[in-house]
Amino acid sequence: MALSSTISSDGAIVTLAVAGRFDFNIHQDFRKAYEKHGNGVKKYVIDLKDTEYMDSSALGMLLLLRDYAGGDSSDISILNGKSELKKILAIANFNKLFNIG
Amino acid sequence: MRNNSLSVLVVDDDFINLSLLKAILGNCGHQAVLAKDGQEAVTIFSQGHIDMVLMDVMMPVMDGYEATRQIKAIAGERFVPVIFLTALNDEKALAKCVEYGGDDFLTKPYNHVILRSKIDAMARVSQLHSTIKAQRDELAYHNERILREQEVVRTVFSNIVHSGSLNEPCVKYLISPMALFNGDLLLAARQPSGTMRIMLADFTGHGLSAAVGAMPVADIFYRMTRKGFSIGDVVIEINKKLRKILPSGLFCAACLVDIDNNEKKFSVWNGGVPDVLVRGSSGGVRQRYVSRHLPLGVVNNDRLGTTVEIGEIANGDRVYLYTDGVIEAWNKQGEMFGQQRLEAYLSRGRDSSAVFDEIREGLIEFMGDQSQADDITLMEVACDDIAVPDHPGAICVTPDDVKDATESRSAAHPLVVWQSSLEMDSDTLKNFDPLPLLLHMITEIQGLEDHRENLYMILAELYSNALDHGLLGLDSSIKITPRGFSEYYMMRERMLASLRQGKIKVDLRHIPADGGGKLVIRVEDSGSGFDYRKQMLGLEENTASSGRGIALVRSLCCHVEYCGTGNIVEAMYHWQV
Repeated sequence: MALSSTISSDGAIVTLAVAGRFDFNIHQDFRKAYEKHGNGVKKYVIDLKDTEYMDSSALGMLLLLRDYAGGDSSDISILNGKSELKKILAIANFNKLFNIG
Repeated sequence: MRNNSLSVLVVDDDFINLSLLKAILGNCGHQAVLAKDGQEAVTIFSQGHIDMVLMDVMMPVMDGYEATRQIKAIAGERFVPVIFLTALNDEKALAKCVEYGGDDFLTKPYNHVILRSKIDAMARVSQLHSTIKAQRDELAYHNERILREQEVVRTVFSNIVHSGSLNEPCVKYLISPMALFNGDLLLAARQPSGTMRIMLADFTGHGLSAAVGAMPVADIFYRMTRKGFSIGDVVIEINKKLRKILPSGLFCAACLVDIDNNEKKFSVWNGGVPDVLVRGSSGGVRQRYVSRHLPLGVVNNDRLGTTVEIGEIANGDRVYLYTDGVIEAWNKQGEMFGQQRLEAYLSRGRDSSAVFDEIREGLIEFMGDQSQADDITLMEVACDDIAVPDHPGAICVTPDDVKDATESRSAAHPLVVWQSSLEMDSDTLKNFDPLPLLLHMITEIQGLEDHRENLYMILAELYSNALDHGLLGLDSSIKITPRGFSEYYMMRERMLASLRQGKIKVDLRHIPADGGGKLVIRVEDSGSGFDYRKQMLGLEENTASSGRGIALVRSLCCHVEYCGTGNIVEAMYHWQV
């Protein structure tokens, strides 16, 4: 599967890793992946290490996750993106909403 | 095929065979219809409802091959299984049965069990066929209906969306949606001052769901631009609307650009759209406006920045706006078109007017026959070619005429005499742009609607002079160097934010005059004024480094006069229907 989710042993951090294309085709899986861990989660990490491509619907999915995780009080990091992906995030100014590293 | 009882056409020139098959079919619960040769079979088939055919090969008049060909032709899309009854064992002859449309064979002498199972199997295939066909027809029907509905919506959509200035000669654009509906939106309209405003928006996703948000955006854009609202005001209003109507996760990357040829300045707000590029006359990217804000519809207005970036327009400048669909277009090798490739086209110093077509052709060639993965939009505006809008001409009269006109007020078309004044303190000046309000008040007068461009220009000039020079004490001469130009607007923003005291008062007085009226606009600021006598002299001798704005006001008004210490200006606009 293009998407894997892991949770830390204390149940506080959920990591979602997207392999290949991060686009509309995985939106169902993506949502299920963060919803299944319930309310005890304090922080989400989106790992883009193996993500090749990302489109605007991926940005939409990230916003949905942000809403789910509490909007302005959410703590979401988007990590390991290749420079092209970081460019997409930068154009959308998502650094104002997420921790991008 | 009702109740599993089939109507089976049996074709054989041998009467014994016919009777035998009729008996077998009867035992299986099917009804046999008999024909003694191919010709009779075709006639019977074309007359009534037959579910299946058992066909002999060798017959007089018309053989089984030809009859099968004709029956299949008559059946058309309906699946009617034809089983050949044959004594032939020759492979070629059997293959010929299939070639003419046969579905199966049964070799003589007949075995009851085999015949029965073949009929059952064929009945199942036939059933499956008609189910699929029914579903296909239903899908086709729905698809057709959806397309028809979309056509209607698309007409409404383009009426709303494409009502602006996109067709002016200074604009070139390429819009290539992935689906019937476009998630990209390109708008252009003139402000009352004549300033060209363009907006490029890219909604999340493609197709209808992306396009629904476009209608309110276009509506707000055109309405507010026509009324003279600033980019910041338009951005705030659109964002408010999108926050209200878009579901979470759907948003709109957008960019607004004002091209003001009077002030020679660009104003750009970019939220989520790739770099807006300005190409100089000799090639190369002269200015670049990167995305500084979040896209629209993501956060509430209190977190959405409305700061615009200001830049100076030089002769021969061309502005390029494009969506990510352009830079992320793929070729057959899986490469992206990319920012570099795009900018390489702008760097060539050749014929400026060919650049747009070169990019367009380059992009099409690059993509080859690769299917598009996103909506693609590219736009060029040649700043020099923005036509000066047709202002209704202002007619010059002397102040004495005003008196005469007032006295002849009881003429055939008496128009209202009215006055109004608006006073703004420092807090109001910081956050409030009074121009749309003033313009609205004035154009409520019947007849003045057609003069809104001129009136906006006059109001805007007088007001910004009062604010920039009167209250903030800014010196226009800073603007003569390109660096000073943007510095001026940064300084203006900073000083306005820290303004503690001061006020501007705008008085409007209107009186009717032969077939139209005279509007006196008086703007007074609490600043210390300036030596207007000296500056007027400079203007007349054409030595002044600034004052283009007030020269424009003079050309539109029949009378412009400074009073007091230079902190009061009075302009009279004479209009006719």
